[in-house]
Amino acid sequence: MGPPTLDKIRALQRNPRNIRNLCILAHVDHGKTTLADCLVATNGIISSRLAGKLRYLDSREDEQSRGITMKSSAISLHYSNGDQEYLLNLIDSPGHVDFSSEVSTAVRLCDGAVVIVDAVEGVCPQVNAVTGTLFTSKVLEEQAEREEEEELGGDQARDWSSRPEEADDSLLYFSPDQGNVVFASSVFRFAHIYNQRMGIKAEVLLRTLWGDFYLDAKAKKIMKGAQAKGKKPLFVQLVLDNIWSLYDAVVTRRDKEKVEKVVTSLGIKVLARDLRHSDPKVLLSAVCSQWLPVSQAVLLMVCEKLPSPLDMAAERVEKLMSVGARRFDSLPEHTQELKRAFLRCSSRENEPLIIFVSKMFAVDAAALPQNRQRPLSQEEMAHRRELARQRHADRMAAGCVDPPARPDTGDSAAENVTVTYLPQASVSLPAKMESVTPEEEEEQQTFVAFARVYSGVAKKGQRVFVLGPKYDPGQGLSTLPEGVSASDCVSAVPHLSCCSMERLYLLMGRELEELEEVPAGNVLGIGGLEDSVLKSATLSTSPACPPFTALNFEATPIVRVAIEPKHPSEMPKLVRGMRLLNQADPCAEVLIQETGEHVLVTAGEVHLQRCLDDLRDRFAKIEFSASKPIIPFRETVVRPPKVDMVNEDLGKQQKVAIIHKARWSDTLNVDSSGLVTLTTPNRLATVSVRASPLPPEVTGLLERSTELIRTLEQINMSLREGRSLDISPRTLEAIAGFKVQLESLLQGRKWRDVVEHVWAFGPRRYGPNILLNRVAGYQRPSLWQCLGGGVQAGEAAATRDLDNSIVSGFQLATLSGPMCEEPLMGVCFSVEKWDIQSSVPPQHQEEASTSRGTPADCKGTGSGATRPEATEHGPIPAGLRPEAAADCYGPVSGQLIAAMKEACRHAFQAQPQRLMAAMYTCEIMTTADVLGRVYGVLGKREGRVLHEEMKEGTDMFIIKAVLPVAESFGFADEFRKRTSGLASPQLVFSHWEVISSDPYWVPTTEEEYLHFGEKADSANQSLKYMNAVRRRKGLYVEEKIVEHAEKQRTLGKNK
Amino acid sequence: MSIFTPTNQIRLTNVAVVRMKKGGKRFEIACYKNKVVNWRAGAEKDLDEVLQTQSVFVNVSKGQVAKKEDLTKSFGTDDLTEICKQILAKGELQVSDKERHSQLETMFRDIATIVAEKCVNPETKRPYTVSLIEGAMKEIHYSVKANKSTKQQALEVIRQLKESMGIQRAHMRLRLVLPAKEAKRLKEKLKPLLQVVESEDFDEQLEMVCLVDPGCFREIDELIRSETRGRGSLEVVSLKDVEEGEEKF
Repeated sequence: MGPPTLDKIRALQRNPRNIRNLCILAHVDHGKTTLADCLVATNGIISSRLAGKLRYLDSREDEQSRGITMKSSAISLHYSNGDQEYLLNLIDSPGHVDFSSEVSTAVRLCDGAVVIVDAVEGVCPQVNAVTGTLFTSKVLEEQAEREEEEELGGDQARDWSSRPEEADDSLLYFSPDQGNVVFASSVFRFAHIYNQRMGIKAEVLLRTLWGDFYLDAKAKKIMKGAQAKGKKPLFVQLVLDNIWSLYDAVVTRRDKEKVEKVVTSLGIKVLARDLRHSDPKVLLSAVCSQWLPVSQAVLLMVCEKLPSPLDMAAERVEKLMSVGARRFDSLPEHTQELKRAFLRCSSRENEPLIIFVSKMFAVDAAALPQNRQRPLSQEEMAHRRELARQRHADRMAAGCVDPPARPDTGDSAAENVTVTYLPQASVSLPAKMESVTPEEEEEQQTFVAFARVYSGVAKKGQRVFVLGPKYDPGQGLSTLPEGVSASDCVSAVPHLSCCSMERLYLLMGRELEELEEVPAGNVLGIGGLEDSVLKSATLSTSPACPPFTALNFEATPIVRVAIEPKHPSEMPKLVRGMRLLNQADPCAEVLIQETGEHVLVTAGEVHLQRCLDDLRDRFAKIEFSASKPIIPFRETVVRPPKVDMVNEDLGKQQKVAIIHKARWSDTLNVDSSGLVTLTTPNRLATVSVRASPLPPEVTGLLERSTELIRTLEQINMSLREGRSLDISPRTLEAIAGFKVQLESLLQGRKWRDVVEHVWAFGPRRYGPNILLNRVAGYQRPSLWQCLGGGVQAGEAAATRDLDNSIVSGFQLATLSGPMCEEPLMGVCFSVEKWDIQSSVPPQHQEEASTSRGTPADCKGTGSGATRPEATEHGPIPAGLRPEAAADCYGPVSGQLIAAMKEACRHAFQAQPQRLMAAMYTCEIMTTADVLGRVYGVLGKREGRVLHEEMKEGTDMFIIKAVLPVAESFGFADEFRKRTSGLASPQLVFSHWEVISSDPYWVPTTEEEYLHFGEKADSANQSLKYMNAVRRRKGLYVEEKIVEHAEKQRTLGKNK
Repeated sequence: MSIFTPTNQIRLTNVAVVRMKKGGKRFEIACYKNKVVNWRAGAEKDLDEVLQTQSVFVNVSKGQVAKKEDLTKSFGTDDLTEICKQILAKGELQVSDKERHSQLETMFRDIATIVAEKCVNPETKRPYTVSLIEGAMKEIHYSVKANKSTKQQALEVIRQLKESMGIQRAHMRLRLVLPAKEAKRLKEKLKPLLQVVESEDFDEQLEMVCLVDPGCFREIDELIRSETRGRGSLEVVSLKDVEEGEEKF
């Protein structure tokens, strides 16, 4: 049978009863694409000799070279069974766990699936995963068990003999009884073989083939309880043993005689050439393909057992249409009516059109049918000749003026764009094509939507609504006028837009065929949607249509890499390429981080590799490098420890060494309680600051309420300016609530009245650090003044600029800490004393205090305050000359900022410092046999298991753990490798956690010396992190350039 | 028999000499290479890892040891260890290859970090990453000068990078409040300094929010202060006008 013609397929598409939309699912390397090849070969598209070798549907280069499928691709096949002719829309899906998103996109468009299980390897994790996908997407499924001879030895294969049993357990759904298991040449045939040979009835055999039965050879009877009696189950005995013995004879022992015996007993003919072949695999495939021809059996079963689009279950429709937690009943009436349209699956003109786009895939523009060269038909040639003649005549008439436009070659506008592109044709082409020079065209990537029509007829050029995932049909219906169509553009409704389907394609594996219209129930490709559809969408002519439920992906993207171009000037190209990649891949995520890094998040290492290849070769076409992304840290202080590293009480012991080298200078003074007093270089101002850790709950609260604090800050700013702002009562309420919460969290003697004295938050005025005003006698406008009503702006005006300098210093200090210049977190700085001795005559006061040359957040006195500065306590030497203010150290406010910053840093360093690491929570589902390895990987990566529990009724364990983000690079990959893919982690950022080890720790007590030795060179996790960050930033790292002076290469003369 | 027979000789290899002049005399000590800088920074705490021998020389290469009375005269002590420590701390040293290399590398990183902090991609208003800047600096063959400050060099690098890639200093957002009388005149003067004027509000006084290059800040500040005699004011709204937060495509 030759390949079906386009007309034939078109005709078949009209009859939904005989359409089967199916996909092939299996574990990786179990032969999905090989099966697809066999099926494709029945249509004569490829030779049956090549079937299984060609992998026709693996059209990508890397798919061919790596031998795995990486994307789902569709092909339409024709199959006739008796007088019935069927159209099969076959979708091949990838088996690798990284590409499970592709499986989801494939499953969504299908009505049924063929699940392949390799009888040698048995049921593998990915099979469970895909069947899970099937269940959740409510696709009725089919199981096809097919034998595949893998290069496993016979002995090894025998070890698996119990596996089909397990398969039976986990997939109770399938049984030969219902005839939905294909055992290659179909169970029926098997049953008949044994019927003849053993005299067992076929019906009995069908019922008992799967399950705890065995064959009593003497009595020729099927008995129950195979496992109890230690016998092989019937399935193994009858089916698998035969195949294994064949395998044994052909491959392992290469026993010529036995092979011949088998061949004759099976009644098949094998070519002498194949028998003589030195490679046993050739013979094996020759025998198998004759004995058990797979394609016919599968096709037959698919056509008989799979539902047609007409038989879609109502339950599934409801599931598709009700987004999120919404129940189907709660949808508007119009929408509920659409369910009927779904079930009718009719292609009549008046039916609403409903299409679901499950993914967008990129196609080279050159591969599109309208750009392909095609022989011109007689009519077209005649037409062109006519045109050329006409134009020639025109030119003659107009005196060599080029005609600005030429009539369309076709009748309709839609046909206009489909005219074949012939670069060498003397005829000028339609405008759209003309604008594309061949060079540009080569670069172009066109996106084709992978979609299915659920109802109505999709016509080329038709305008449709594009419904985003958050679109609410109720809202849409109430906003839009009755009977609105997509051709009048509406933009008022959120998540709704319009577009036209410029081209429709029939998907034929690596080729596309242009279509004019596609009736309901078919899988199709749609061109021209790239601007309106990002990854998936629902298209409809009716605004009542709800968006379909989002695709649920088995694998969430977790592998993060930072990407940057080799040449910085190519940045725009990279960004454009990444946008395209984002659209083309359903599972890849692309984002720009605050640090400016372009981060690509993929599902796994293999997926990552594919994304990078795509980006390099197709989308961006530049050289770039992918590296480990930058890991953020936070710095904090903790309470001084009570015990030392060997759990001895610190109080009782003599300190052998002094930890912090006191760096005294004449302007800096650190007392034993951690109070830091710093004087500005001009000796006029002094600040005393103490740092203390905030309770973790407070830090958490501050982090959660950044938005609120930002609002609060804005309100305060405007109040200071003397303007009043309209604050909504709700905001005020929220602020009051926040204050109460803060008060309730800050209990105890140490924190008494603290909330009233909060001066500022930082960094950036809304971070999780607090500046406290503990200066005796210094009254400043409260942070909470918007609540209290008592505005004291007038009083504060004079000290405002100095006040601001202190805040600015605090902001700068919290933005980058002394450990590795990372932001601080959970630190409370309290200003205990503040002594400003400078006071300049009023007319110069502003000049002295406005910042000059210090680009920091300091403000000039806007209202022009002329009051002398007298609110500070301390002596005010009058008559300081104005020049003194602008002395060699710069303006006072600038100095104060620097002094405050330094004071904060020293105060921070006077406390025990710690690093905080970002943590992922990690959920792992695993089987008991790899549990140990899971713990091994977690332990190696500094992970901590929070809890572990067994899932009811299965042998799966669920482990919840936390893992530092810094250790997560390559984690997923290592995990899968070590557990042979039986466990896969899901990582979500959860919180910041203090790393308990002190980066500056050295042994100080005698006990510690005993335990760790003088150098203490055991691994210090936080020191490692800190030094890595410092090295990255080009800061000084306290490390020896060479460890041992004597072990350097000697360059002197030897003597 | 000369005293320089092989058995009597101590030959030092891999010597880094640290010299110091004190009391009109030159003293030298013999140290290991790549160790002196570490000692000064405090990373190396073991003196034996730094000094080849605890004797003070007048000339290391000739092996002339300093006389005891000279040492006592100059240093006030004859404790060799103490003298060695003094020379190590204050003497002039030879920077060894690895020391120089690591110093230049650190400076290079530091410059790149400063550039990345100060600059943005003008198209996206987002910062560039440090590694990208490093790559760009290598591409323009920027060589680090060890005797210039990193900040100074960073400004130089920004200027040079502008020629090869889209980079600019992150703008500062300023709010200017000018009294009504001088507003018009002053605005004309300020105009060339302001990059973008975001909003302008003129009732009793002129209030402007604008983006400026941080390099112009001092100039603007001075101009406003001198022209309005303290009645106008200048407020920094944000130091760096950059996009915040993550953005998903």
